[in-house]
Amino acid sequence: MTALLIQLLTGLAGASTLFLVAAGLTVIFGVTRVVNFSHGSLFMLGAYIGWTILSRLPRDPGSFALGVLLTGLATSAIGSAVEMVLLRRIYKAPELLQLLATFGVVLILQDATQAIWGPADLTLPRGPWLRSAVMILGERFPLYDLILIATGPLILGTIWLLFARTRWGTLVRAATLDREMVSALGVDQRRLFTSVFALGAGLAGIGGALVLPQGSANLQMDLSVITDAFVVVVVGGLGSLTGAYLAAVLIGVLQALGIVLLPKATLVVVFVVMACVLIVRPHGLLGRPLTATRTDAAAIAPIRPATPALLWAAAALLVLAIAAPLIVGPFVLSVLTDITIAILFAASLHVLMGPGGMASFGHAAWFGLGAYGTALAVKSLAAPMPLALLLAPIAAGGVALVFGALVVRLSGVYLAMLTLAFAQIVWAVAFQWSDVTGGDNGILGVWPPAWAGPASFYWISLVLCVGGAILLRRALYAPFGFALRASRDSALRAEAIGLNPNALRLAAFTLAGSAAGLAGGLAAYAKGSVFPTTISVGHSVDALVMVLLGGVQTMAGPIIGAIAYTGLFDALLLATGFWRAALGACILAIVLLFPQGIAGGFNRPGVAGSVKRTI
Amino acid sequence: MRKTPMLEVRNLHAHYGQAHILHGIDLDIGEGEILVLVGRNGAGKSTTMKALIGLVPPSAGEITFHNRPIANLPPYAIARHGLGYVPEERRIFTDLTVAENLEVGRQPARGTRPAWTPHRLFALFPNLATMGTRPGGRMSGGEQQMLTIARTLMGNPSLVLLDEPSEGLSPLIVEQMSHAILALKAEGVSILLAEQNLHFAARLADRAAVIETGRIVWTGPIQTLLHDEAVRSAHLAI
Ligand SMILES: Nc1ncnc2c1ncn2[C@@H]1O[C@H](COP(=O)(O)OP(=O)(O)O)[C@@H](O)[C@H]1O
Ligand SMILES: [Mg+2]
Repeated sequence: MTALLIQLLTGLAGASTLFLVAAGLTVIFGVTRVVNFSHGSLFMLGAYIGWTILSRLPRDPGSFALGVLLTGLATSAIGSAVEMVLLRRIYKAPELLQLLATFGVVLILQDATQAIWGPADLTLPRGPWLRSAVMILGERFPLYDLILIATGPLILGTIWLLFARTRWGTLVRAATLDREMVSALGVDQRRLFTSVFALGAGLAGIGGALVLPQGSANLQMDLSVITDAFVVVVVGGLGSLTGAYLAAVLIGVLQALGIVLLPKATLVVVFVVMACVLIVRPHGLLGRPLTATRTDAAAIAPIRPATPALLWAAAALLVLAIAAPLIVGPFVLSVLTDITIAILFAASLHVLMGPGGMASFGHAAWFGLGAYGTALAVKSLAAPMPLALLLAPIAAGGVALVFGALVVRLSGVYLAMLTLAFAQIVWAVAFQWSDVTGGDNGILGVWPPAWAGPASFYWISLVLCVGGAILLRRALYAPFGFALRASRDSALRAEAIGLNPNALRLAAFTLAGSAAGLAGGLAAYAKGSVFPTTISVGHSVDALVMVLLGGVQTMAGPIIGAIAYTGLFDALLLATGFWRAALGACILAIVLLFPQGIAGGFNRPGVAGSVKRTI
Repeated sequence: MRKTPMLEVRNLHAHYGQAHILHGIDLDIGEGEILVLVGRNGAGKSTTMKALIGLVPPSAGEITFHNRPIANLPPYAIARHGLGYVPEERRIFTDLTVAENLEVGRQPARGTRPAWTPHRLFALFPNLATMGTRPGGRMSGGEQQMLTIARTLMGNPSLVLLDEPSEGLSPLIVEQMSHAILALKAEGVSILLAEQNLHFAARLADRAAVIETGRIVWTGPIQTLLHDEAVRSAHLAI
């Protein structure tokens, strides 16, 4: 019993830092409607900057507090700079592009952090007061944890006062409701947005510095904290500060208790709780349905059927692709195999993003489920290749059906954040459940049978992937595809003509999940192995970049994108040690220069204002 | 002869995406004048106002306000030059109290006129006086309409764009609204009023401009529009 209580308190302490991150995320979202992926990076920078400052200060409580505040000011300045240089330019972009652009910032900041502070974890030498403890029910409990527990409500109260009692707070709350009206009343939105960013970034930085005494500054903390923060913000209700605190406490305590009670299943418990909350309250504990933002974001342009010239080019390319093994060497052949797999992966995501109108940020989950499904079938059932490959789409599609049933009702950003969180959970399961998945070491020795040499396997992959992409394309021009697009454009009108938008979206979700799963199964054979990195955020982003590179509004887009991206990526890997930063810069360039993707880059609406979707 | 107009609009065009809505609007509004913009639903009255305040950036044309070009400024800068906008859909901040709604609109006074304060606005709209702490979402339509006008006045505008303020209100409230508008006029505030309710407009406006599919087709004294049969049948088949 006592152990549980202690664990509960530990959970509350963790909840405070989580809240610091989630509070900034939710306030920034409320006002700017941008889900700031790089918020976790500000938390990480807070830890590193905090380490630099605190390790130079005397080790008394007063200096600690001063150092934490200075850290908050520093990250606040960095956050404001990111907002002014980048986000200001993309407030009117579609939300997925915004999410992607801020992920570009994540990549750049990761490399920058590593370049400045090095790859090793940094721990802070702790003064005596940081090591002292109080006795609770006869157990020693760290004093610092008690301070953390008090910090959460203290910050909540301070922000609440700021919002309720100051003109700035009134303007922020008004802008959360209708930012266009606020600007028509003479308030400079840009300064308001920047100041909100500065506040959020400062809170994240303080959170990062506050974890130093019990942990370390490391290069993984950005993505791990942002995943938790997404879950917290979604469970609490986007834009709700109090909701974020309640959810942070809920998640923090669940995680802490889970470690004692169900050590293997902690993440799954968190996910199940999140699912329960969202089934009962689709907008989170204290959230409300999002009012449509009053600025018209550039809409996704209609899907254009391919022109005859494009079809001829595709046919020529296909003939070349079929003849390739007779022409090229083994290295190029393996790159070509990767490209076929990337094409199916990208095309499956395109079904969700384009016609489905669903912003999926965790597409690697399905790819990974397929890959692990195949690898496990080979390793534990000794399944032959056709069966193992068949299992890939079944495993991924099955899970996609269950998860999709939960999330297809949700709107854009919620969906994006939940798909990301789900992918992180699948990743964690693959990483932690080492008895089955081999953990970090992965599953090795998944080679094709002797009859399928490199050339034959390439052909198999070509048939399955290009065939799969063509089938997906056909589905989009079939009645299913039109019904799906009708539901995307207006769920109400689609219902009025007898369609069931959620069922259609679920079907698309499952279809896309299965196709990505098949791509994953092929990838397992192509590489001969599977690792948890297959499911990482980075891999999900690969798919997003491929689709956006090609443009969402053409069916050829994902294919062009997959080819261009696989080439670009290999070139970056060869050319630079800072491939993450380079990739991040490429992403930013794409988002800023070609908001409609490369294939659609010359078809931008000329005049600001709303563009009505036509098909 | 009127003085040089305070607002001068020349050849104003505006688009929603690819849809061309305003096809060259010309308008003048003088100091202290009320001009009513009459036209059918969908004629472009609201779009004209949004283009003036900058919410729909004009795609061509000039807007001169107090001798300054404002066509390419962002909405907040236009508002700070003294142009107030009262939207047709009212757009009250529903979670904010009446007092907070007014606070959002507050801008420093300009010129010689005394600044608007909540106190003075409650005298103008007595219905609001007792509601300082009520959330905007829990008010009747008429009260919201008064609040949205009061909120705009907090910015001390010299010209107010009033988009169909009588729409959907009971006769009693409409009556109070016209008193308030006349009181504003007495203060020297200029008003561009969009209206379909000609009776309401006739008592307030000095001049009328008729708009049809994004063009001004007639301008003149409101009395002419009301009583000259030829003009009426040509432009107001209402
Ligand atoms: N947000 C919008 N997007 C596209 N078209 C619009 C939008 N708002 C108005 N329109 C169109 O612009 C035209 C003018 O509308 P509006 O200015 O609201 O007319 P009014 O205020 O005179 O009734 C109408 O044809 C209307 O359908
Ligand atoms: Mg109108």
